[in-house]
Amino acid sequence: MPTSAPPPSNYPTRSEDLIGRLNSVLTPYETKLKTLRELKNQIIGNRTKKLAFLKLGAVPSVVSILSSAVAENGGGSNLEFNEPVIIQSAAVIGSFACGLDAGVKAVLDAGAFPLLFGLISHPNEKVVDASARSLKMIYQSKLAPKYDFLVEKNMDFLLSLLNSKNENVTGLGGSIITHSCHTSIEQETLSEAGVIKMLINLLRGSLIQRDASLESLGAIIKENPGVISKFMGPENGRALNVVTELMKDRYPRTRLLACMCLIHIRNASLRYLQDAGIKTKLILILFELIDDPGQVGDEAPFALSSLIAEKEDLQKIAFDSNIVDKLCNHLEKGSFQAKRLQGIFLALADLCSKLEFCRDRFLSLKAFNFLTNVLTHDSPEVRAAACICLKNISRSVKNLSAGHFMNETVITPLVRLLQDTCTSVLIAALGAISNIVVDFTVHKSKFIHCGGVKQLVQLSKSMDSTIRVNAVWALKNLMFLVNSMCKEEILLELSPSMLISLICDPETSVQEQALALVRNLVDGPMDSVEYVFAEEGLLLNAIGRQLQSASKVEVLIQGMYVLSNVASGNELHKEAVMNQLFPPAGSDMQTILIKFLQSTDSRLRTASVWALVNLTLTSPGANIRVMKLQSAGIVCQLKNMVNDPCLDVKLRAKTALGQSMMFGDSSMG
Amino acid sequence: MPVRVVETSSPSQVSGTTPGNNTPPPCTLLSVGQGFSGTQNVSSLQKDEAWRVNVQIQGIDHDHGYLCGTMEALNVPMADTPVVTFWEGEIVDTKNYTFFTGKWGATTEDDIKHWTKFQSFSPLLSKVEVDGGKTLDLSNYPFIFMRWKEQYFVNVGTDCGLTIAGFYYVCFSCSDGSINGFYYDPNSSPFQKLELKSTNDGRSGFSFSTYELQ
Repeated sequence: MPTSAPPPSNYPTRSEDLIGRLNSVLTPYETKLKTLRELKNQIIGNRTKKLAFLKLGAVPSVVSILSSAVAENGGGSNLEFNEPVIIQSAAVIGSFACGLDAGVKAVLDAGAFPLLFGLISHPNEKVVDASARSLKMIYQSKLAPKYDFLVEKNMDFLLSLLNSKNENVTGLGGSIITHSCHTSIEQETLSEAGVIKMLINLLRGSLIQRDASLESLGAIIKENPGVISKFMGPENGRALNVVTELMKDRYPRTRLLACMCLIHIRNASLRYLQDAGIKTKLILILFELIDDPGQVGDEAPFALSSLIAEKEDLQKIAFDSNIVDKLCNHLEKGSFQAKRLQGIFLALADLCSKLEFCRDRFLSLKAFNFLTNVLTHDSPEVRAAACICLKNISRSVKNLSAGHFMNETVITPLVRLLQDTCTSVLIAALGAISNIVVDFTVHKSKFIHCGGVKQLVQLSKSMDSTIRVNAVWALKNLMFLVNSMCKEEILLELSPSMLISLICDPETSVQEQALALVRNLVDGPMDSVEYVFAEEGLLLNAIGRQLQSASKVEVLIQGMYVLSNVASGNELHKEAVMNQLFPPAGSDMQTILIKFLQSTDSRLRTASVWALVNLTLTSPGANIRVMKLQSAGIVCQLKNMVNDPCLDVKLRAKTALGQSMMFGDSSMG
Repeated sequence: MPVRVVETSSPSQVSGTTPGNNTPPPCTLLSVGQGFSGTQNVSSLQKDEAWRVNVQIQGIDHDHGYLCGTMEALNVPMADTPVVTFWEGEIVDTKNYTFFTGKWGATTEDDIKHWTKFQSFSPLLSKVEVDGGKTLDLSNYPFIFMRWKEQYFVNVGTDCGLTIAGFYYVCFSCSDGSINGFYYDPNSSPFQKLELKSTNDGRSGFSFSTYELQ
């Protein structure tokens, strides 16, 4: 069969031709109607076509037609086609906006929004349907303008929408609430206006009304215990029962939305939905919704996360229902949309957040390989979710000790993520790395050789304080019980001046982590103490200065542990600690040590008294140190601490006192 | 094969938590990174033997009464390298765990028989006999009682001729960090004693390191 040759490039394409017809004043009205229908049929469900037509300026053309038709409505010569044209152009506009942000933007820019709103009260029900549906599409996008519920006439209009007999219009009312209700003030305003009762009535309506109502109820009650208690109140009848029944609806989306309402209620207060039966039912329904191939299946894992996050009892119920296996099986099934992958990994992360047996189960399945593969996924949300999952799984001393994570398959992609352009991925990767480097085996060097330390040090200079804190946290954990050779390698990248600047960082949380890092640095064999004398003692001085000036107790605790660790060294080390703790002769500065020993925080008292145990331990220079402690009132202070309410402090105070008394006796002789 | 302890929750290093009302207080000498060394006597009818043992604490979670670490046995005749095992422990805190073991083949008689071998246990005996010590207030008691159960061999195969079927009854002294223990395994010689002292890496004093899991 002969086929037509492709048109030469200076001929308009069929699409351009179509737009041309819409734009031309010469096109008869009836033809414009046909063209609109043709356009609608081409773009429905076809993202590529939508984008192509957007480029050709289809939206302004269609909006212009709609605008003219609305202006002519009731008069003019095109009466027969006027309303069909309005209906079709509204439908085309809605289709462009459906699931496509570029389409929504074009529609809003072209001024369709007020036009469509004006048509909600049109006498022709079909016009109302088309406009309401299109507005709903727009409101599904974040780009839709925010509806201000606090303006009275806006609230009145919304109430009129919810009161309408037309299910598309009531559905629109629901979409507006879902889109724009965020703050607790907005939630309370809607609740006061009686919207909850109206939405509850709609729960008994058509499918569109039920779903719109459930979704907007969710938005109104979310994280608002006050509004929730109104929802549960007697004036709303058996609202909870209606929602609970909808958990078993035949439509998956309705079941999901009902579950989400119940989850919001449960999360607001533990006194609701305490029954173990309902908890199990929620989990099982979500469990089954995960199988849905569409959007419901994408969203179900997020709902599950919301239900079980931070709650051990629910995580246990989920585990007993074999949800770890189910989610891992889903991963193995094949490639998914990014959203579903993200949801599954976040749900797995929540499951493994507290329970060791969940982590064990996950590790025993092949899914761990899948997790490491996905660290290089295109979507930053998926990468971040995988890192969070890895972080929660590695929150297991038993598995860290077994060395499950310190291997190239895990470390190489993780270290690469330390250069990720997306901050949330970076922070999630830092979290996972912080745990993995605790590794009690000899394999910490693997992380160093992968270039990990270089990256961490780089990130500890970040402008973003969250990144800085997490980077230093990871370095601190890396330094824990690390061998001397690794210490040397780490210090090749992490200079003493870098350490000093971290100790003096403007953020106290960074200071705390940096001091804990130094604490670990000087722990281990005796010669490790020498590291603190780097830069001719500037590092130790910086620590001493922080102890003088810092007010955050966690910073002081770590600083005292550094000094305490140094004081477990040789005579020179102990002397250096004394110099930091006690002001030079002639100064009227009181030693900070008294203040620390009297702290209301037992951890600071403990750290301080350990320093004293180490300083007063029998050794050649101890008696001079004890005399100094005596004259500074420290020995007296120790006597007051032999009945400290904290056992640890009491025992160490007794030890230090006992050791000091030995010198007291000999110095009197 | 190592036995997994099924009911443990997540262990995490928690710095500076205040324990429950009657539970043993955290003690710095029993914190992560702390090392202990000493001997385990493995005498039997045939011979008198003692292995040198090093223990290191790797994790501790006071909220759940959990701790874990490694145990390294040196000069083990059947092995040509030191044998390292990973163990998990239960802290007898009257909240998560009592003096009654309730598993691992140990009856309450076995429990009492072993705990009584620790001198520091005698003031507690009468209350423990009643209900395992559920009502005891250990918040100021200068000893911490635990059970340690080895879970797996870290560096040798299970065919090394050694067993980790039993568990240790352990008493830790908060004042000097010394550890005493008795190994319980119905199939081994009874009351094999573990005696450890807190080590300090050749230092003149005590040094403490830290980590935090995210």
